[in-house]
Amino acid sequence: MAIDYALRMGDGKKIFLSKDQLLEEIEAGSADAADLGEIPSLSGDELAKLSEILMMPGKTVSVEQGMEVPVTHDIGTLRIDGDQGNSGVGIPSSRLVGCMMHERAFGSDTMELGHIDYSYKPVKPVVANECQAMEVCQQNMIVPMLYGAMPNMGLYYTPDGPFENPGDLMKAFKIQEAWESMEHAAEHLTRDTVWVMQRLFASGADGINFDTTGAAGDADMYGTLHAIEALRKEFPNIYIEAGMAGECVLGMNGQLEYDGKTLAGLWPHEQAPLIEKAGENVFGPVCNTNTSKTSAWNLARAVTFMKAAVKASNIPCHVDMGMGVGGIPMLETPPIDAVTRASKAMVEIAGVDGI
Amino acid sequence: MASKEEIIAKAQESITEFDADMAGEAAKEALAADIDPVELIEKGFTAGMQIVGEKFEQGSLFLPHVLAAAEAMNSGINVIKPEMEKRKSKTESKGIVMIGTIEGDIHSIGKDIVSSMLSIGGFDVIDLGRDVAVSTFVEKVKEMKPDVVASSALMTTTMVTQIQLEEQLKEAGIRDQVKTMIGGAPCTQDWADQIGADIYGESATDAVNKVKEVLL
Repeated sequence: MAIDYALRMGDGKKIFLSKDQLLEEIEAGSADAADLGEIPSLSGDELAKLSEILMMPGKTVSVEQGMEVPVTHDIGTLRIDGDQGNSGVGIPSSRLVGCMMHERAFGSDTMELGHIDYSYKPVKPVVANECQAMEVCQQNMIVPMLYGAMPNMGLYYTPDGPFENPGDLMKAFKIQEAWESMEHAAEHLTRDTVWVMQRLFASGADGINFDTTGAAGDADMYGTLHAIEALRKEFPNIYIEAGMAGECVLGMNGQLEYDGKTLAGLWPHEQAPLIEKAGENVFGPVCNTNTSKTSAWNLARAVTFMKAAVKASNIPCHVDMGMGVGGIPMLETPPIDAVTRASKAMVEIAGVDGI
Repeated sequence: MASKEEIIAKAQESITEFDADMAGEAAKEALAADIDPVELIEKGFTAGMQIVGEKFEQGSLFLPHVLAAAEAMNSGINVIKPEMEKRKSKTESKGIVMIGTIEGDIHSIGKDIVSSMLSIGGFDVIDLGRDVAVSTFVEKVKEMKPDVVASSALMTTTMVTQIQLEEQLKEAGIRDQVKTMIGGAPCTQDWADQIGADIYGESATDAVNKVKEVLL
């Protein structure tokens, strides 16, 4: 009797596949990444290893001994005290307590302090509060404490900011004006990020995390790269990490360049050298989960992209793993079977340096 | 004088080169050569837009390029419009699509791209914007009678509101008068089946193709 293996769809639904079906899925997923990114697909051995991981009988799996990698969290404190019908567990606790829980109970190797609005722009009016929280965390903790938020360039456009929304301008065929609006917003994004971080570094932050870089497209990445450059120049020894918003940089502008390279349409292995050039210490590559495909397809695709990014990068790659990224299904609380298999595959096959 | 084929090729090139001036020139030459305006639009301008759409899907062109091509097409069409009115000829309207990001969700980039691609694909698009209340969708469907009403959701916490849209359209007694389409990262065909949506658009191109299948 044929054995069926329990897997997931990208939306988290449980499915059962035979070994042959599973192999077909991972070959197709790897081929999709290879085709889009013009990168090598996984080798026969790597596909076999991936299928072994996916077919392991335990509910959870782990990396082999000696292959452990650093693990960090973005604004993890939200998961402790948050209780908005999302993945928060609703335990009343301050951000200090949340950060300490991550350090002392959950095994985080670094931690990040972030404000609930989680974008650099809205941190400006509350920066004194953030500085105080950072100082208190630093006085109580040992692991490196980063300050993190999203560049989130959408906040610089109407109705949330001073510049006309490029989406509205483009719909009116005002393309030149849309380009100008994006470029102005990028300048402000760079300026605000540097201003906020000057204060947080003065309060003892060990580094900065740019979370979901490029969420508003290529201009968002452009502004972020320039902010990284400025921060590296002003603070030569700080730790800078940039995680991406998606696998491919959206071409909302289409013509912005960094270091002579057009930003629109870049895949993780093409993003890595630019991030490094700007002055990063760590790159957080992303691969999106397709909710209509199986977790086997998604994971093979994600591992293929990440392996190419690791190869192209001279700085450590800490892959983004979580809801809807890194081959993990898109669920508020991602299922542990899928999370641990994806993590093991990323470390043992893609060769990522951290998660 | 250039041949009919050369003029149509020039019209197509004006779109793939995003050249509004060239599109206008091609349109003027077509009028002088007595080329049927509808033929110029369909074989020249629209064919050029199809090439641009394919390159967008491949990731070699981006949204501003698609819109610049659409702008060039508008320039050409504006030149031949008086002649079309004189001849009482018109390109076929493919239908009306009403689109918006569902209540509670402010993510509009994907919705904007689908909206632009539908518009370029020949549909009349009514874009309600982002964070659109379900009641607004229902009122606007009653008022503007679109063929398709499309809702976008980028979050698992907002996609559930797409159920309410289905239910409130039924309560208002207009569900059978309009096709519903859903899209956005967490949405799937299974989700569309589960809530009773007629169309699931996986990408901008998929959305346009499926709307065409349903309406044409």
